[in-house]
Amino acid sequence: MSEKSLGTNRRRSIGAALAALWGRLWHRPLEIQPAKKIAIVGNPNVGKSLVFNRLTGLYVTVSNYPGTTVEVFRGRTYIGNLLCEIVDTPGLYSLLVSSEEEKVARRLLMDETPDIVVHIVDAKNLERMLPLTLQLIEAGFRVVLTLNMMDEAQRLGLEVNAVTLSAHLGVPVVEVVATDGRGIPTLRRVLYEILSSDSASRSV
Amino acid sequence: MKSSAATAPLVQYDPSLENLIAQVESLLTADYGLSKRSLALLIIQEDPEIWQLVFQKEPETTQGKIRRLLQSAGRGGERSPLYRIVTARQRLSEALCRQCVRQRAPTLPTLSQQISDLLINPLYGSIFLALLLYFAFYQFVGVFAAGTVVEFLEDTLFGEYLLPPIIRFFQWLIPWSILQDLFVGEYGLITLGVRYALALLLPIVTAFFLVFSLVEDSGYFPRLALLVDRLFKKIGLSGRAVIPMVLGFGCDTMATMVTRILETRRERMIAIFLLALAVPCSAQLGVLMATVSKIPFGIAIWAFFVSLMFLTVGFLSSRILPGEPPRFYLEVVPLRLPRLENVLAKTLSRLQWYLWEVTPLFLLASFLIWLGQLTHIFDLIIAVLSYPVAWIGLPSSLAPVILFGFFRRDYGAAGLLDMVEKGVIGGKDLVVTAIVLTLFVPCIANFLMMVREQGWKTGVLMTVLIFTLAFFTGWVASHLITWTRLIPA
Repeated sequence: MSEKSLGTNRRRSIGAALAALWGRLWHRPLEIQPAKKIAIVGNPNVGKSLVFNRLTGLYVTVSNYPGTTVEVFRGRTYIGNLLCEIVDTPGLYSLLVSSEEEKVARRLLMDETPDIVVHIVDAKNLERMLPLTLQLIEAGFRVVLTLNMMDEAQRLGLEVNAVTLSAHLGVPVVEVVATDGRGIPTLRRVLYEILSSDSASRSV
Repeated sequence: MKSSAATAPLVQYDPSLENLIAQVESLLTADYGLSKRSLALLIIQEDPEIWQLVFQKEPETTQGKIRRLLQSAGRGGERSPLYRIVTARQRLSEALCRQCVRQRAPTLPTLSQQISDLLINPLYGSIFLALLLYFAFYQFVGVFAAGTVVEFLEDTLFGEYLLPPIIRFFQWLIPWSILQDLFVGEYGLITLGVRYALALLLPIVTAFFLVFSLVEDSGYFPRLALLVDRLFKKIGLSGRAVIPMVLGFGCDTMATMVTRILETRRERMIAIFLLALAVPCSAQLGVLMATVSKIPFGIAIWAFFVSLMFLTVGFLSSRILPGEPPRFYLEVVPLRLPRLENVLAKTLSRLQWYLWEVTPLFLLASFLIWLGQLTHIFDLIIAVLSYPVAWIGLPSSLAPVILFGFFRRDYGAAGLLDMVEKGVIGGKDLVVTAIVLTLFVPCIANFLMMVREQGWKTGVLMTVLIFTLAFFTGWVASHLITWTRLIPA
């Protein structure tokens, strides 16, 4: 299946243009390579594309209808001072894949070994979606569990204790409402903390 | 791999399974991008793709060793490893949820739940669908956008203000009338290509996408799919035949690609055929519906024939392909109040995509027609086409519209709307032509996708069959309408 690159968001591409100009002037190429790769995975229709849009400032079609993303979308954004490539994947129910879309998502995880896997789940259906979180952790990925649709969960009277859940799973748990962007700054901060501690430990 | 499994694993499986995992793990040497434990689990669950990878990456003997391990483990007569693995994870998830999720208020059926139930109820759901179609699509897209707005843009803005000076400008700029024709002739780049895209299609498609995005974000479509599924089951149409329609609602070309999720080649062939024949994609649906809204009952007659075609082919194919649907997940998402900013962003992105897709094609078509007129090939094609057109009882002035329809259904519909605006064709001709156009192959991209997925021979054969069926249905419709005097001539 084909891939689409959506480029960096505009503010950053001015930066890229300046970098190119710098390279021209001083005969020193200053190609900016994304330092880190973040993959967004989860069941169909849990808001992966919306989180992708929120993180990158780009736009991929989002709909309240399962299975809309059949391709892999890529975009770039800065998390703190780190240029990251964000990858939006088709829906994945389990690492034991059965449909073509799921195969695409798994192949991407295996071949590209992302620095962070952001697992988006529907907070209302946590029990049904946690098995994939368990599998992702089991597979050795650095997982950030993102509980989306917290507003709807709250309206149904559901309360999730993110701290306890995080302690049990051993991975960060972030609560967001992707439709209006609540919680996205927290998600960015959590991503940054992981990525920056990672580069610090690597340079040692 | 990043985090090694130094700490105790999160999910503990039963002892015999853990033993098996450890043994399989010890045989794996290569790097797969997944932890060894995870990989061992996938191997135990006999994932074909992973098996193939192991075959490629490990020494030849490894596969045999693993197979023997699995066989000896399988003799215990217990439940299958797959079942045990899934259950262990499910149990842990349940335990985690018991500890971390609290239900505050008892769950009464909420208002949104009650509305949701009504929407998938065969009776109330159908009434709602009819109301939605009438007000949102017929009144807003058909009467307002395709009528009022198009009339203003086409007759007043383009017809009176923009085109006359542009035509004079080109006549002044280019002395040769042949070259003038390329830009401002009957089928010129500006007089036809740009005008169709901006004055005819843009308002209709904008209105349509606005309504479509609004309805989509509210979460209505999965309910519509359920409702349709129920209705179809009532008339004996079930299972796999329903899937393509749901997929093709968005974009037929995309849906043609997505038919890969269907299992057999025969299934895929029928799905692809149905998509190209009788499933108008969202953008084209808007333009076609708007066109037939021009006359009273036009939309009803059009909808009747197109659904009849769909049902017939679908029914026949479900006879050839009986059976339960394969894994057809359709999650019923919650009903939501659409957010204006998201709806607008989506409408804009769709509009942009649509205009980028159709405008170059319209310009190319204008150019090809100009070339064809120079070489008289165009006249020849029109002459040939006027035979089937006359056969289904339409005036030969509609032959160019049919030719446009070969490029794209909505290009033909735009030509049709143009002729209606000019008042040169009658109500019956309008509806019959719209039916024929709707049954055409949606667009060139869709045709190419058919060829890519099914090969040249099948792709071309399907296309020929589709055009034949389209003309045949037009013939039936034309005679039925004349005979019953549904539409005064």
